[in-house]
Amino acid sequence: MGRRLAIIALAFSAVAPLLLLGLWSVGDQWFFPALLPGRLTLESWRHVISSRLAIEATVSGVVALATAAIACALALPVGRAMARLGGWRRRVAAAVAFLPVAAPPIALGLGLQYAFASLDLTGTIGGVILAHVVPATGFLAIYFAGVFTALDPRIEDEARSLGATPLQVWRHITIPIVKRQIGDALALGFLVSWAQVPLTLVIGGGVVRTLPLAVYDYVRAGETRYAATGALLLTIPPMLALLAARRERVAPL
Amino acid sequence: MRVAVWIAAPVLIGALYALLGALGLVGLDAHGFTTEHVTHVLGAGSTWRGIGWSLATATVATAAATVVSAALAITFRGTRIGDRVARALAAVPLPMPHLVAATLGLLVLAQSGLVARVLYAVGIIHAAAGMPALVLDRFGIGYMATMAWKEVPFLSVVAMSVIATRGPRLEEVARTLGATPGAVLWRVTVPVLWRGLAPAAIAVAIIIAGSFEGAYLLAPSSPLALPLLTYERYRTIDAARRADAYVLVLLGLTLAALAVAILEWVRARWDVD
Repeated sequence: MGRRLAIIALAFSAVAPLLLLGLWSVGDQWFFPALLPGRLTLESWRHVISSRLAIEATVSGVVALATAAIACALALPVGRAMARLGGWRRRVAAAVAFLPVAAPPIALGLGLQYAFASLDLTGTIGGVILAHVVPATGFLAIYFAGVFTALDPRIEDEARSLGATPLQVWRHITIPIVKRQIGDALALGFLVSWAQVPLTLVIGGGVVRTLPLAVYDYVRAGETRYAATGALLLTIPPMLALLAARRERVAPL
Repeated sequence: MRVAVWIAAPVLIGALYALLGALGLVGLDAHGFTTEHVTHVLGAGSTWRGIGWSLATATVATAAATVVSAALAITFRGTRIGDRVARALAAVPLPMPHLVAATLGLLVLAQSGLVARVLYAVGIIHAAAGMPALVLDRFGIGYMATMAWKEVPFLSVVAMSVIATRGPRLEEVARTLGATPGAVLWRVTVPVLWRGLAPAAIAVAIIIAGSFEGAYLLAPSSPLALPLLTYERYRTIDAARRADAYVLVLLGLTLAALAVAILEWVRARWDVD
């Protein structure tokens, strides 16, 4: 009985948020205490296609893709080097790499703002990407440290002993082995940036408008239909990424 | 180890600029060295109330999410179809952004939200004002509930993986030595689970305490959570007080560094990777 109730609660928790956001995104004349909207409209979805929300979603996508690529390129060698450390050095390195993830984003953004302003990076898409790269790289370095810990370093040593240069080892041994994990890391890096609010708010200075900022403004303005539409747009790509990851490997979980 | 320092370099640069800003040496309103901002912020009750509120709500939300996740992992650890379905369902909300979770929290728990409408429909309340304030409330009940719900999927996935990889062997040993099912649960399964789950729980508490968008949409204006207080000082029209934000940035970064140190200490103590 308890198990069955728990499964029902889990199903509700998994499905209800998307259904509710879907209903809110098309609900019109929906005032308290009505349980259902008085009228349905696709107005907010037409707005997505025809106006600003589409531009903001595109900017978010570009920023997240660039963040993922840069963070992945930086984190891959760092994670590999971390995996080769032993004992307390490894613990300290893990703690240091976790700092950008643990730092409150608003504190990180305000701390970096002056440095970014002196490099003319505030209010630019490039500046926002660089700001997003900071926590994303920390996150992915820890991820890659885990990946490389599980990888036998003797495979690379073997290639080197057969005369391969460091670049050849990377190109022909290391990267092909962790190809799937690089794909996962790109998805993780994308997600860290995709929903980022405080860093975009501070470093973007209101000039760089992304989808999360639009949702944030719609919620604050009480524009429920638009907020729900934007929230669905924010949720769908991460959900699809999770589904794709689960289809790819038949994991025990 | 040097490579990891490069990863953290932006945080250190941010902390350095915040320190210089807090001492009146950099920033738009800087007028030369002063400790006035530091003494003002450290002497203000709002600073400590904000820190206390952020830490307390993060702790309660994380504790609730950890207990639920551990219970789910123990209940659905088997290989039956129900177990597998439950494990898959638990992970579905995992990638939902904090901003979306907070938006949902607002739409569901506000005084004119979905819960209030259902309570009205069944006759428990007779007006929106009859609904207890769960959002923007002093105790942050809606905030904690939303954050706990948001983090259950992540902690459940970790708990389920801990039980699957570390539980069976030790439990088998305990059973062979004559332990009852209750003793196996409380003396073996729960301690093993806790050791594996504790670092993830600490990481979750760190993320919740530093969360901006969740607090902005759901937390009260008094006391102001630390991330909101920092942003409010940064946006103040009083130019003389704007550098106070840098002191709060330093406090936020220091607390985060302390929390990371605790996290690594727990990992090292229990030898958890």
